[in-house]
Amino acid sequence: MMRLTAAEFRKVLTTRLWVWLLLASVAWTAGYCALAIAFGDRPGGLAPPLSTAAGQHTLFAIGAGGAGPLVAVLAVAGVTGEFRYGTAAPTFLATPRRGRVVAAKMITYLLAGAGYALVCLAVTLAIALPWLASRGIHVTVAGRGNLGVLVAVVAATAIFGLAGAAAGTLVTGQLAAVAGMLIYLYVAEPLASHITALHGWTAYLPGVAADGLTQATQAGVRLLPPWQGGLVFAGWALALAAAGTRVTLRKDIT
Amino acid sequence: MVRDQAGHIVAAGLAKRFGGITAVDDLSFAAGPGQVTGFLGPNGAGKTTTLRMLVGLVTPDAGTATVSGQGYRALRAPGRVVGSVLEAGGFHPGRSGRDHLRVYCTASGYPLARADEVLEITGLAGAGRRKVRGYSLGMRQRLALAAALLGDPAVLVLDEPMNGLDPEGIAWLRGLLRDHARGGGTVLFSSHALLEVEQLADQVVIVSQGRLAFQGTLAGLAAGGTAVAVRTPEADRLIGALARAGAQAERTGPDGLRVTGVLAAEVSRVARAEGIDLHELAPSRASLEQEFLALTAGQGESPAVPASRGGQVS
Repeated sequence: MMRLTAAEFRKVLTTRLWVWLLLASVAWTAGYCALAIAFGDRPGGLAPPLSTAAGQHTLFAIGAGGAGPLVAVLAVAGVTGEFRYGTAAPTFLATPRRGRVVAAKMITYLLAGAGYALVCLAVTLAIALPWLASRGIHVTVAGRGNLGVLVAVVAATAIFGLAGAAAGTLVTGQLAAVAGMLIYLYVAEPLASHITALHGWTAYLPGVAADGLTQATQAGVRLLPPWQGGLVFAGWALALAAAGTRVTLRKDIT
Repeated sequence: MVRDQAGHIVAAGLAKRFGGITAVDDLSFAAGPGQVTGFLGPNGAGKTTTLRMLVGLVTPDAGTATVSGQGYRALRAPGRVVGSVLEAGGFHPGRSGRDHLRVYCTASGYPLARADEVLEITGLAGAGRRKVRGYSLGMRQRLALAAALLGDPAVLVLDEPMNGLDPEGIAWLRGLLRDHARGGGTVLFSSHALLEVEQLADQVVIVSQGRLAFQGTLAGLAAGGTAVAVRTPEADRLIGALARAGAQAERTGPDGLRVTGVLAAEVSRVARAEGIDLHELAPSRASLEQEFLALTAGQGESPAVPASRGGQVS
């Protein structure tokens, strides 16, 4: 498995997509932090006041947590690319035990997700710590539950990677998979989760459950508590992974 | 690996349907070490599907395919046993050829330096660091072959490997495959062009509509058509001698004969017994082509396949 995971990492790193998506993640993180800090404390701002624990949590969860969907795109594009470009054939020729290949891909994007999250968290801290300190707000990484949020952001982004890889094994058309993923995460789910009448079950949708895990609080959206959100999100990812593995084992590579 | 089956490819009763279309139907054949086996048939005859079943990419509906006595998916180190060149790409356009090979070095546990070695063997050393996007079709074929050679396998399975190669590339590949077989390796390659197979293969497997139409040597196939081309300065004497041996011969030129009813070996025996010089003795190309067309009748992409002189049958 080590060998196969290393091979999957080599695939990711020898094409350019990971760089662009990492830059996009960093841009989102930096942009959100700057806006939240510049305007967040004004009435009607982006987030709760940054002097409060809730305000700081939101900064990490929404700022750095923005990498999650982009990692899912990296994963879904990477996995479906194997079918789009026909590299699935040499891949399964080298490793006919396909379950191992699928598992290696999921581990790879899980780790890639954790890596993206760590980079984005570092960017958040680099921007927020000195800026807030200049206003007399002292954020400590270990203080006020911040460490728990950081861990949750890493976990959520990692699971986004796993879920994206799993989704790619289910919908192997690259354009359909990437477009579907973007529309679902950036349009369908946010719309549904803002409808109060649906709050009973929208909290259990994968992306909303991930927000529960990191407590990326937004007005008008009901979230699960962190541990519950984490379990639900991981459950979605594992269910997709199981279904995707099953499909891949039976697939004819033509 | 079972010792006495090492290097043998055996397909037994293979069948595959896609939707309502039968691609391969009860197909059995074998290819062995020390030989180049041509897998010949018109486009759409089921060659690609068969080769993909052989290497575990497509699951047969019925039958089995084994290499060295085992199904491909059961091989412990498949890349060390079988090298495959399959049709239709298999490269990420944004990845360099060298990186493509290094991915599979890592996956199979070969040293990364092996990637540079196979680039050298396939004449791609200069292009290895360029992205595959900029490769010609011929370079992609070479890269696919390089990937197949990574594990230094004894068995090579190649789907239309000559496609896209220039004449020089084809001659080079022919030499490489022939040397591989001479060194005790097994080569199974598919083609839709009789001429390609004729120039390289020791034996042929001909498929038509997903079924086996013929397996044997090309000489045997031509004998089925019963025509042998002969050139001799003593044409009249040979015609008489052959007539006594039960064969018919007709003149095709001042010193040329077209003999039907016996194999080339029999013509040679008769000529030697009579002390007649032979300047040429060959299964007639025309007859070979006619036989091939008869075997695969109504199978090509075009409704009426002309018996062209070019040797390309599509």
